[in-house]
Amino acid sequence: MPSMTRTPKRQVQPQDAPRIPQRGGGKLGYWLYFIPGAILVGVVIFYPIIRNLRLSFFHWRGGRAEEQFAGFENWTALFQDSEYLQSFMNIALVIVAMVIVPTLLGLVVAAALFDVVGRRFGGKLSSFLRATYYLPQILPIAVAGVMFSWILKPNSDGVLNQFLSFLTGDDVAVNWLGGQYSTAIISTMVLMIWIQIGYPVVIFMAALQRVEPELYEASELDGANWFQRFRAITLPMIRPEVFVVGLTTTIAALKVFAPVFILTRGGPSKSTYVPSFYAYQEFISGTDKGYAAAIASSITIVVFIVSVIFIKAQTRAERKDA
Amino acid sequence: MKYRNRTMGALVAVGALTLAACSSGDSDDTTAPTGAGGEADFSGETLKVMHYEGDESAMGKAWNLAIEMFEEQTGATVDLQTTAFEDLNASAEQLFDSSDAPDVSEYNKGNGTAGQLAAIGVIQNLDDAYAKYGWADKLGAGVDTIAKYNEDGVMGSGSFYGVPNYGEFVFMYYNTEMFEEYGIEVPTSQEDLEAAMQTFVDNGITPLTTSAQEYPMGQLWYQLALSQADRDFVNAYQLYTEEVNWQGEEISYATETLSDWVSNGYISSEVSGLTAEDAGLQFINGEVPMFYSGSWWYGRMLSDVTDFTVGITNWPGTTLTPGSGGNIWVIPVESKQPELAEIFIDITMSPEVQALLGESGGLPVAANTEDVQDPDAQALIGLFNEVNDRDGLSFYPDWPTPSFYGDLNGVMQGLVNGTFTPEQAQSELENYYESYVSTVR
Repeated sequence: MPSMTRTPKRQVQPQDAPRIPQRGGGKLGYWLYFIPGAILVGVVIFYPIIRNLRLSFFHWRGGRAEEQFAGFENWTALFQDSEYLQSFMNIALVIVAMVIVPTLLGLVVAAALFDVVGRRFGGKLSSFLRATYYLPQILPIAVAGVMFSWILKPNSDGVLNQFLSFLTGDDVAVNWLGGQYSTAIISTMVLMIWIQIGYPVVIFMAALQRVEPELYEASELDGANWFQRFRAITLPMIRPEVFVVGLTTTIAALKVFAPVFILTRGGPSKSTYVPSFYAYQEFISGTDKGYAAAIASSITIVVFIVSVIFIKAQTRAERKDA
Repeated sequence: MKYRNRTMGALVAVGALTLAACSSGDSDDTTAPTGAGGEADFSGETLKVMHYEGDESAMGKAWNLAIEMFEEQTGATVDLQTTAFEDLNASAEQLFDSSDAPDVSEYNKGNGTAGQLAAIGVIQNLDDAYAKYGWADKLGAGVDTIAKYNEDGVMGSGSFYGVPNYGEFVFMYYNTEMFEEYGIEVPTSQEDLEAAMQTFVDNGITPLTTSAQEYPMGQLWYQLALSQADRDFVNAYQLYTEEVNWQGEEISYATETLSDWVSNGYISSEVSGLTAEDAGLQFINGEVPMFYSGSWWYGRMLSDVTDFTVGITNWPGTTLTPGSGGNIWVIPVESKQPELAEIFIDITMSPEVQALLGESGGLPVAANTEDVQDPDAQALIGLFNEVNDRDGLSFYPDWPTPSFYGDLNGVMQGLVNGTFTPEQAQSELENYYESYVSTVR
């Protein structure tokens, strides 16, 4: 048996460590590299958040008008404001449209593209299909919104109404965006799902590249069907990505603005308001910018809380796996 | 208007009108833009001018001439910055108070817009400029109302903050061929109008188009209320002179009539999902025989409608009509060239610029009326003269509060799709209105 000698791993000697200017021989020098980023984050993120939070405790008409201290008035008013409460209720539906449905669909689609299409028809076709799913993500939202407005026109000119008329043989003229709350919010949700679906598909497919093909082959030889492979191999392997997608899309859902702005302008009768759109409306046409700031701050707080919960859940899951 | 499509080309010559005639001064004595600009040399200086008119629109042509004249007379250069109407509405509050502010800008008039900017101190008080250039003498009473704002931003009193130099109003566009086909006369009373609409419905045609997602239906609602109202109602509603009775006969009539019209099929329930552009196109495409909207559509109707002849008429059976002076020139508080800005505004009021505005399809405030020859222009002027002769200009329904445009559209959508009964719609509107007006009344 040939003998093998392993070279001991060489320890990094102090003289090999990167030379960073240090004051007093401490680790202060490292912080020099941190300063530009910290300044940028401070100016672009923390300063506006703090200014906004401060403004939420004032009444302010805007411009050069004087600010008047309001204490918690703006914050307490939020909880008596039916439009604000409705806007947050709508977020639950937005989460369904931007998080739950795209993540579930994304899992299935990514697994099918990777495990079925990719293996049977080759990588090129699965890459092509992945790109088509991702297309709505790169389309400017304004373009997508205008296209959907055209599809959802309330009269018989609307593409969807024409399609339904063709299928049913009757003259269908559903008022998708202006009729009832339910049709307007469902129409908006469909747009969100369509835009969002490509994102988890791409992330999950990238994650699936980590999976050894032998694993799938072995499970197939053992007689596992597609769903069993999906549950036993695909899902556990890409769990970190599921967390990432869940977190990022939940944050996007809480801040959602453009689809509502373009499709419904919050209508009919303000029923499709979401918090960001409501904050925008109050900043632009309201007379109390402090109240608008309270709305915006409340979104920031909710996003922060949700992010902490997600990250903790992910850490817990990783510890369990380890 | 808050919401006009700024790219609409007004292609047909429309003339001058009575706004100038009803003013205290004679339009003939409109002074040429001598002022400081005629004598001082501003070579090397730059004036940043901002507006949102399309090059081919009446105002766009007029402002281009004003820029040309300004550069000739002062030796200064104009840095023209064009923007979108909606973009400026959304950003003016910050822009005018920043180092990027234009020196002079066109802006939307009314309590919720120019009034709001005046109240928060981001546009300049123009009292001295009005005295220096005599602009007040060129404006009629209905027009100068939108130039003055008090400390709360309420129009009609206080100091001058803007200079309007054209007019606009709302009336009925109709399809003359469809009227003739079904033997319908142009309505001269509300009863005639409803009978005409019933005839169309009986023939399977939706008679009247509008939009509840944007401004047209709010203006229709206001017109119906105005048809039952007097000037005191307008003053109470727009100038807060007294409390508005939101369950009173004027507003009840408007909401109930609209609700009935939707039930009767005079207006399709689809209008809750239509934009102003959608509604206008339905009329232009000959799908609907009547469209109630403003003079800003006129040039486009005459140029885009090819399959029928467009008729225009004032709303039947009313003294009061939505309408006002057009957008105003304002000088932002951060203007670096306020003196040159005043000279520029004065040039936009000159007979040459005003005449071109009229000839290009606008309704100027300071031009001679005799020059107008075009029959389409004469028709529009005739209609506008009718309104002015009866002192009918009553501003627009969304002016009372900064957020009333969205509030009103939302309620109109609810009225159309059945979310609100007429009584609920009135209560909703009252809540929105009072939440702001009670703080400034």
